[in-house]
Amino acid sequence: MAKYILQRLIYMIITLFIIATATFFLMKMLPGSPFDANAQKMSEEQYESMLEHYGLDEPVPVQYVKYMAGMVQGDLGVSFQYDNRAVTDVILDRLGPSAQLGAQALIIGAILGIILGMVAAIRHNTWVDYTSNVIAVIGISIPSFVFAGILQYYLAVQWRLFPPSFWETPIHTVLPTIALMIFPMAICARFMRTEMLEVLGSDYIELARAKGVSSNSIMFKHAMRNALIPVITVLGPMTVSLMTGTLVIEQIFAVPGIGEQFVSSINTKDYPVIMGTTMLFSILFIVVILIVDLLYGLIDPRIRISGGKK
Amino acid sequence: MRQNKWFLLVVALLLGLVLAACSTTGSDSEEGSEEEGNTNESESTQTDEEKVLNIAATADIPTMDPIMAEDNVSFQYVSAVYEGLYRIATGGEIVSGVANKDETEISEDGLTYTFHLREDATWENGDPVTAQDFVYGWQRAIDPDNGSFYANYLMSGKIKNAAEIYAGDMEPSELGVSAPDDYTFVVELEKAVPYMDSYAAFMTFLPLNQEFVEEQGEDFALAPENMLSNGPFKMTEWETESGWVLEKNEDYWDAENVALNSINVKVIKDADTGLSNYEVGELDRVSLQGAQVKDNQTSPEFKSLTETSVFWLKMNQASAEKSEYMQNLNFRMALAKGFDKQSYIDVAYGNDSEPVNYFVPHDFVQHPETGEDFQTGSDVLAFDVEAAQEYWEKAKEELGFEEVTLSFLSGDTDVSKSISEFMKTELEENLEGLTLETVNVPWAQQLELMRKHEYELAVSGWGPDYKDAISFVDLWVTGGENNDVGYSNEDYDALVKSAKNELATKPVERFEALQQAEKIALEDAAIAPIMQRKTSVLSKDYVKGMDTMNPFGNDYSFKYVDIQK
Repeated sequence: MAKYILQRLIYMIITLFIIATATFFLMKMLPGSPFDANAQKMSEEQYESMLEHYGLDEPVPVQYVKYMAGMVQGDLGVSFQYDNRAVTDVILDRLGPSAQLGAQALIIGAILGIILGMVAAIRHNTWVDYTSNVIAVIGISIPSFVFAGILQYYLAVQWRLFPPSFWETPIHTVLPTIALMIFPMAICARFMRTEMLEVLGSDYIELARAKGVSSNSIMFKHAMRNALIPVITVLGPMTVSLMTGTLVIEQIFAVPGIGEQFVSSINTKDYPVIMGTTMLFSILFIVVILIVDLLYGLIDPRIRISGGKK
Repeated sequence: MRQNKWFLLVVALLLGLVLAACSTTGSDSEEGSEEEGNTNESESTQTDEEKVLNIAATADIPTMDPIMAEDNVSFQYVSAVYEGLYRIATGGEIVSGVANKDETEISEDGLTYTFHLREDATWENGDPVTAQDFVYGWQRAIDPDNGSFYANYLMSGKIKNAAEIYAGDMEPSELGVSAPDDYTFVVELEKAVPYMDSYAAFMTFLPLNQEFVEEQGEDFALAPENMLSNGPFKMTEWETESGWVLEKNEDYWDAENVALNSINVKVIKDADTGLSNYEVGELDRVSLQGAQVKDNQTSPEFKSLTETSVFWLKMNQASAEKSEYMQNLNFRMALAKGFDKQSYIDVAYGNDSEPVNYFVPHDFVQHPETGEDFQTGSDVLAFDVEAAQEYWEKAKEELGFEEVTLSFLSGDTDVSKSISEFMKTELEENLEGLTLETVNVPWAQQLELMRKHEYELAVSGWGPDYKDAISFVDLWVTGGENNDVGYSNEDYDALVKSAKNELATKPVERFEALQQAEKIALEDAAIAPIMQRKTSVLSKDYVKGMDTMNPFGNDYSFKYVDIQK
C-alpha cells in the first residue's frame, strides 16, 4: 500500500511538472499582455518599460526557468490584476467558498441520487421508477444555470424565501447548493439504478435470497456496496468539476469563488494567477483520482491496489 | 473485516457531510455574531439620520494604492478614501480639496504652480496632511520601481524631469515638486498645462503619509488596516471578490458636509443578479445591461446618464493592402455616412446612447468665457444613404474599381459579433460592390492588430482622463502614439501644436483652435463617429447626488451623495 502510494506520488510530481510546463508555454502564446486595458494609452516606449518592470521582456524560456525555480520554493509570485497581492492569498481567499459550495452540492446531491437510484431499482418499472427517471433526465439535460435562474426568480425575487445572492450566512448557500446539486444527483441516480438492477439480478444475490438473508441485509450489505463502484468512479472527477466548474453558478449567486477567478485571470492575462489556479486544479484532480483508486479497494476487496497479487 | 470497511465508507461520507455542515455552521456562528453585532450596532445607532448607501460593483477593487489605480472601480473608491489638491464634485466640477483652489498661484508663463494647503486637513491617525506628503506621493508615483502606468502617462513631458526619472536617468527626488514649508506645495512644469485643475484632482496625484506607507511595506493598501485615509470616507471592511464597506471619516476636515454614514458595496458580476437584488431591496441602485434596459425603461426609477466616452469606426489609411482606397476622401466619406448609427446602438447596446457625428463629446468642456459647450454639433458625417452613395460612386470613379473587399476587425464577444454582422449587412446593402469580411478576435488581439496597423476597419472608443478637449483632439496628430488610423493633415497638426504650446496660456484662442481642429478632422473623415455612450440605471428616489456622471476620473463623487428617505 505504502509502496503504491509512493509510486503514485512520483507519477503525480511528474504529471504536475508536465502540466506546469505546458500551461506556461500555452499561456505565453495568448495574444496581448496584462496591460491591455490601458494599452491604447501607452506609447511603445511606455509599453516596453511596463514589460520590463514586470520581467516580461525577458525571453520566454528565461521566464519559465525563473517561474519554476520560484514555484519549487513555494513562491507563486504576485498577481498583476490585484496589485501586489500574493497569488497564494488570491487563491486561498477564493478557495473556501468554492470548496464549501462544491462539497455541499456533491454530498447532498450524491446521497439523494444514490437513494433515488436505489428506490428506482427496487421499484423497477413502477411509477416510482419512471418518476425517478424523469427527474434524472431533467437533471442531466438542463444546465445548472437554468435551474439557478429559476430558483433565484421564484424563491428569492417572487416569494422572498431566500436571499437572491451573496455568500454570507448559511441561508445564502441554499439556492446555489440546490442549483449545483441537481446534476450530481441525476448522474448518481442513473448510475445507481443501472448498477443496482444489474447487481440485484446477479447470482450471489439470488443465493443470498435462497439462503434466507433478509431483504434489508441484501440491499445494504451486498447490492448497494457493489453498485457504488461506478458511482464512486464518476464522483471523483465530479468533485473537481464541481469545485472548478461552478463559474456560472458562482457568478449568478455572487459567490466569491475560484472558478470565476480562473476565467477572469485568463481574460486579464494575470499570468501568475493563471499558473497558480491551473496548478491547484491539477493537484486537486490528481489527488481525487488517487483517493478514488484507494476507495475502490475499500469498497471491493477484490480490487487490490498494491497490484502485486492477482 | 468487510463490515468494518463498509462502516468506514459510511463514516467517511457522513464525516464529509458533517464537515460541510460544520463549515457552514462555523460561518453561521461567525456570521451570526457579526450579524448580531451589526444588529446591535444598528439598533443602538439607528436614527433618522442613519444614511447607508447599498450599491454593487461589477468587479473587486484591483488596487487601493493610488499610484497603481488605472480602472474605474479603483478610481471610484481611491477617490473616496483619499483627497488630493483638488476634488471632483458632482458632475465634474473641480473644487478645493486639501489645497484651497482660490489661493493657487500660477506663474505668468504657466510653468509654476504654487498650491496653498489647508492646515486643518489630517490623516486618519491624526497626523496633519502636509506638502511633504504630496512631494512623497508624487515622487513615489513616478519612481520606475513602482511600475505606475498612469504616473508616466500623465506626468512625463509635463512635470519637470518626470520622463527622465521614469526612464531611470534621474532620481525621483529630482522631480519638479517641492515643499518650501508644510503647507505650500510647488509644482514646476516643462510646458504649460491648461487643464491643471482636473489634472491636480486626478487619483495618481494624491498625497501619501510616508511614515505609514513605509511601515506597511509590501502590505500597503492590501487591507483596510494597511490604509490611511485623509478623505471623506475610510475603508473598514474589504473581503476580496465579495465586497467592502466605507464609513464616514469623522477626522476629515469637511466631515460635516459628508452626508452618508456608510457605503456598502457588493461585488455582483451578473447583471440579472444585480437587478434581482435591487428588486428585493438589497441595493439602492443598479446598472442595467442589454435587454434589462428596454424592460425597465418605463420605470419611474429608470435613469439614463450621459458619459464622455465616444465610439467611432476606424478607417485605417496606413493599411498595408488597402491604403490606396482608405486614403481616398470620398471612399471614407461613403463609409462614414453609410450606416445607421441609431440602429447600431439598438443592436449593440439597446439603450439610449446617442448617435453622434463628432468625436469630442458634448457636456464635457465649455468655452472659458461664454460657457458654451465645446460641441456645437456637426452633420458632416451624419448618416445619409444618398450622400454616402454619391461619395461611393465618386470614389469608384477616382479609384477605378467596381468591387472591393475590406476586413472589419472586432472583438469575439456576442455584442462584438452582432456589431460585425450589423456593419456588414448595413454597409454592403448601402454601398454597392462593397464586401466586408468580418474578423472576430479576442480584445487583446484586436488591440495588438490596431497597434500594428494590421486592419482595415474596426470600432473603438475613448474616454478622457482630464477635462480638456485635447484629450480627444490629440489622438489624430500625425505620428501620434494613438493615431492608429494613419490620418495626417498639416493644418490639423499645426492647430494641435499651437494649442499645446503658444496658446497654452490663452484659453479662449486655444479652445477655438481645438474646435477648428476637430472640424478639419471631421471634414477629412479621419474617423467615423458613431455614438456617445450612456449608462442606464435604476435608482431609488431617495438616493441623491448620483444623477450625473463625472466626465473623467471617478464616475461619482460620494462626498456629495445623500440618502433622503
